[in-house]
Amino acid sequence: MALTLTCPICGKRNGYEFRFGGEDKGPRPPEEGLTPGAWCDYVHMNNCTAGVQKEWWFHRDGCGSWFTTWRDTTRNLEAEPPEANK
Amino acid sequence: MLGKRKPLWGKKKRLKSSYDAVIIGGGLHGLATAYYLAKEQGLTDVAIIEKRYIGLGGAGRNTAIVRANQRTQENVPLYKEALDLWPVLTKELDFNLMFNNCGNVNLMHSEAAMKAARMNVATAQFHGVESHLIDAKEAKALVPALNISEDITYPIHGAMYHPPGGIVRHDAVVWGLAKGAAKQGVHIHQQTEATAIHTGGGRITGVETTRGRISTNRVLVSAGGYSAGIINRMLGLRLPISVLTIQAMVTQPLKPILDHVVSSGAYHCYANQTLKGEIATGAHMDPWPNYTTQNTAHYIKHQAEALSDWLPCLRGVKFMRIWGGLADMTPDMAPIMDGNDPVGGLYMDCGWGYFGFKSCSAVGKYMAQYMATGNCPDILKPFHLRRYENHRLMGETAALVNYTPDN
Ligand SMILES: Cc1cc2nc3c(=O)[nH]c(=O)nc-3n(C[C@H](O)[C@H](O)[C@H](O)COP(=O)(O)OP(=O)(O)OC[C@H]3O[C@@H](n4cnc5c(N)ncnc54)[C@H](O)[C@@H]3O)c2cc1C
Ligand SMILES: [Zn+2]
Repeated sequence: MALTLTCPICGKRNGYEFRFGGEDKGPRPPEEGLTPGAWCDYVHMNNCTAGVQKEWWFHRDGCGSWFTTWRDTTRNLEAEPPEANK
Repeated sequence: MLGKRKPLWGKKKRLKSSYDAVIIGGGLHGLATAYYLAKEQGLTDVAIIEKRYIGLGGAGRNTAIVRANQRTQENVPLYKEALDLWPVLTKELDFNLMFNNCGNVNLMHSEAAMKAARMNVATAQFHGVESHLIDAKEAKALVPALNISEDITYPIHGAMYHPPGGIVRHDAVVWGLAKGAAKQGVHIHQQTEATAIHTGGGRITGVETTRGRISTNRVLVSAGGYSAGIINRMLGLRLPISVLTIQAMVTQPLKPILDHVVSSGAYHCYANQTLKGEIATGAHMDPWPNYTTQNTAHYIKHQAEALSDWLPCLRGVKFMRIWGGLADMTPDMAPIMDGNDPVGGLYMDCGWGYFGFKSCSAVGKYMAQYMATGNCPDILKPFHLRRYENHRLMGETAALVNYTPDN
């Protein structure tokens, strides 16, 4: 389904200009004491939320910014973060 | 249809408060596993819990392509067995699955692609799966409608030709398996959604549904595109899965012009002609995860452009129906089938992306064996979840275009 995203620099643009950068998983885990399980969790594992989630995007065919935004995966619309995350 | 007609597979059953096994999802994999549990494993006290109606998911939305020319030695034998099972199931279920083994032609558009195909063909031949490398002229001889001229976006260099593959009627598989399973005592509960999975002492104890609680010590999550979300929400386990909408469509019916399944990785496009004469075509996935199952103008245009290039006789032909479904993609484009880890009695069968139709027969058979005995059959062992943390990803990706939200 079509998608419009708001780039922090360019504003509202067609979703096909962007590259999806994955679910937001927080900061990269520190190297020290890193286990294969924790690394796998960071690299591969997803929540697969049906609803509003925070995620990374890259304005590939635009200004080249990386940014995070909230999107409702059931409607493909940018969304307000849920109350708990404000 | 309105009214209270009896479903094909028998009368509605009362939801019992306990079962030997509960299967979440009345799709291809849930139905096939239930069928084989009852038929081959003697486990008949089985409930299939389906949130709406059987076949609502990928089972009723796929483009029905079956083949066994995957890339890796772990995958090929499983798909080969699945392919060999269609004629057997047709007899066994006494249900016409309309297997049309017209053969698959995978177009290659560069020397690099031909080289990759060469490896696929070698793997196939090693495993006794018929597959050949052919050049553009031979492809044209098989599929006269093909445009092998040099002046298209991706000129055709050759193809991988896999004669035993083809098309199976997907709805018939749903109905046939449902009938076969129900006949042996399996309860199919439609309009029953799983809302929680209960555990105690590291083991499965039951499933909460919108129609009440069921006690059981064995659960299979085979909810297609919804599996990863369910497993995360209900058990707090995350999976290496991205859920994308995948789209498909059919044209107006035409006289016979295509008697193979033809596909192209470079064009992100495949086409075959249904028995009704429509050209069924698809393959485009949204480049971002979503559960919408909606079509896009972007894709309809893409599909028309691609088909006009390599099947120019379709120029001007109208699309009649479009639809979408979910594809749950893993990073190595191979599924996850696992059990009893980390929760005893929990089985999962997901991450099938757009390969879950062609595999369902064999997977049902082996998942049933797994669930009945608690021991993983050898053929399923490579597909365990821990391969990701052990950095043992499978090499299926190079077989097709790497088309996940990660690229
Ligand atoms: C457009 C499209 C084209 C495809 N083309 C092909 C192809 O050509 N060849 C091929 O091999 N594969 C193809 N596939 C993939 C194939 O359809 C799927 O991989 C397959 O259907 C997966 O089977 P399943 O039984 O795991 O899930 P599904 O068939 O999706 O069934 C899952 C069921 O679970 C139910 N469910 C979900 N949540 C709950 C809950 N909480 N409680 C109870 N029930 C629940 C759903 O309603 C659904 O009925 C295609 C898919 C799509 C969408
Ligand atoms: Zn920008």
